[in-house]
Amino acid sequence: MKVNILITGVGGQGILLASNVLGKAAIYSNYNVVGVETHGMAQRGGSVVSHIRIGEVYSPLIPEGEADFLLAFEPLEALRQINFLNEESTVILNSRPIYPPSLKGEIWKYPKIEKITKALEFCNIISLDATDLAKKAGNIRTLNVVMLGVLSSCKNFPLPEESLKKAITETVPKKTIDINLKAFHLGKNHTYTL
Amino acid sequence: MKKFLLGNEAIAFGAMESNIQVATGYPGTPSSEIIETIARFSEGDIHIEWSVNEKVAVEVAIGAAYAGVRSLATMKHVGVNVALDPIMTSAYTGTVGGLVIVSADDPGMHSSQNEQDNRIIAKFAKIFCLEPFDAKSCKEFTKEAFEISEKFQIPVMLRTTTRVSHAKGVVEIGRYKIYPRKAKFIKNPEKFVVLPRNARKLHRLLNEKLSEMEEYSNNSKLNSMHLRGEIGVITSGVSRTYVREVIEEIGDISILEIGVSHPLPTKLIQKFIDHCDKILIVEELEPYIEEHIKTFCNKEIYGKDLIPREGELNIDIVKNAIYSIIDKKYEKKTRKIEISLPPRPPILCAGCPHRALFYALKKVTKEKIHCGDIGCYTLGIEQKTIDTCLCMGASITKAAGIFHAKVKEKAISIIGDSTFFHSGITGLLNAVYNKANITVIILDNRTTAMTGHQPHPGVGVTATFEESTRVDIEKICRACGVKFVKKVDPFDLERTTKILKEAINFDGVSVVISDQPCALIARKKGLWKNPYYVDKDRCKGWLCQECRACIALLGCPAIVWEKGKAKIIEEICSGCGVCAQICPNDAIKVRE
Repeated sequence: MKVNILITGVGGQGILLASNVLGKAAIYSNYNVVGVETHGMAQRGGSVVSHIRIGEVYSPLIPEGEADFLLAFEPLEALRQINFLNEESTVILNSRPIYPPSLKGEIWKYPKIEKITKALEFCNIISLDATDLAKKAGNIRTLNVVMLGVLSSCKNFPLPEESLKKAITETVPKKTIDINLKAFHLGKNHTYTL
Repeated sequence: MKKFLLGNEAIAFGAMESNIQVATGYPGTPSSEIIETIARFSEGDIHIEWSVNEKVAVEVAIGAAYAGVRSLATMKHVGVNVALDPIMTSAYTGTVGGLVIVSADDPGMHSSQNEQDNRIIAKFAKIFCLEPFDAKSCKEFTKEAFEISEKFQIPVMLRTTTRVSHAKGVVEIGRYKIYPRKAKFIKNPEKFVVLPRNARKLHRLLNEKLSEMEEYSNNSKLNSMHLRGEIGVITSGVSRTYVREVIEEIGDISILEIGVSHPLPTKLIQKFIDHCDKILIVEELEPYIEEHIKTFCNKEIYGKDLIPREGELNIDIVKNAIYSIIDKKYEKKTRKIEISLPPRPPILCAGCPHRALFYALKKVTKEKIHCGDIGCYTLGIEQKTIDTCLCMGASITKAAGIFHAKVKEKAISIIGDSTFFHSGITGLLNAVYNKANITVIILDNRTTAMTGHQPHPGVGVTATFEESTRVDIEKICRACGVKFVKKVDPFDLERTTKILKEAINFDGVSVVISDQPCALIARKKGLWKNPYYVDKDRCKGWLCQECRACIALLGCPAIVWEKGKAKIIEEICSGCGVCAQICPNDAIKVRE
């Protein structure tokens, strides 16, 4: 077995925690797991990417075109990782944009969401306002756990719900366990249309 | 206990299981988590420090090793340059206790100014170089590094790269407890005093030791060889993982994975080469293994003709190279982005005091050259207030050089507090002594921000968060002989501009200290003030007479352009109030 999960978004959205949860959950289910994270310079509000690979693998980096799942915490960042996707890939897309700040006085136009989803149409897209679900769970910072909830509802995702929940409980700050588990369920039970 | 760990965390646990008693380092991506992990988990008597710079870190570690205990010094690849002086000669003196120096290299330059390959430095210094390739091996190799350092009485370089240091994997963790030995410095001037007459002898002994080290390398369990078909691949470091995956798919290819990169296992390589007809060497950056092999082998060898000499490798690059030597075509269709995407590079945070200072600096005079340094403030390039960036501490010295070359414009040095302590003080002293006429701006945000907020002498706490003496930057500057030293609050634009003007007009070395904590630390400490908002009626949008100063000149990520007007994202606004001071229409107001 080999499952490649790419997580992307903007520095500060809780991507490292999401990949930690996946890594721990894989260990609880007795799978091998490797991955790699963005640290340092790349974190200052810039694009962040995390690779997680579960099963019989060695390389911490996912080869191009071989991501089984893309967890995109931000629509624009999903599109930036298009080279990792194929027709079978599943993209879980948080539809809430974070507008990049102006650079050297230039004001960039953020592409229309429809344009982004259209460009990703060749694979399976689950698009939802995960930021809104996180707010409903009680804290916008549970966005990462909402996304994991959605991931756990995918048919071909190999880790059982129990491993994920155990990993969440052991990774998030103690005071926030309840709202994080609520966030997980909101993500998992979210009904979506393609 | 199985844990999901970073390579750096695994190195820290490996060091603790090896009973280190002194751990030093200077923060630098991708090395910083090693010291942080030891500080967090160690139980027992272990001295942990953020040293003032890498030279200091290595020297403190050498002192401990001379006294017979095991010590670790961590740094990024360019930090090894700073520490090269003690490293070179410590190979001559050798050690007593084990001494491991971590060099975390950064191929691809995720967070660095160059991508030098430090295996070459280990060879130059005649010390061991071990290259782990994943999180699990990081722990094993660290433990072996201490063993062989003690056995051969020589420092060991543990060389990682970003994709090893920041790769995660499953690692078995034992105890965190340290079982200390009793330290004792046994006098031995012939070993520890490198007077020429001793050093001559020591150099001959080192060369003899090198052949014993090579014998170890030939038999080390850190190397691994699988003889199969007549086509062979030799690899090291993280490339081992890429090669393994490709070969598992193709099969029937021999593989030699090198874990001891200096001295290279020549006999083992010879055996491998004898078995193969065609050999591909897969290594990141320099043709280090390739050049060595080409000195004694005339078989068909491929390396840098198929593998790039810059940047990182990955499975796709390795697969392409292997396919081309087995005369197969490898084609992969990858999707490309078809619309133009707004870029999202790293930038200064909302409420960052550097942004305010840069804004004021730009206002003062256009006739100046901004010599930058290493830190978050290099991102000031977006505001056109960084014209050079070379290496740690070089902002002051470069500015002095520009002055002594008799350039008409005033040279300004921009340096952070941690960088100032690291290697700025010597440059400042030199500038005063040699009569430079420059302005030095010290951005004191009371932390080493870029690498993840490590403390330094100006913070007054140690790596283990114990209180310590807080060293005053202003007093250091005065003690160096600087006659003009003034502090400013960068969020007070009017006064900052005034003081900067005075400093730039001053004849001689002038220092301005920008005094505001890092915005991220300020948030953690609850120092953020009420956010600001844009009064839509007053904001003139595209018709603004100051060319939309708030958005175009400031570049704050909390200010966005929406429906032709400025808008503040209040959740990320720190309430610094700088935008309100520059808005010509008084449209930005504080939320009461």
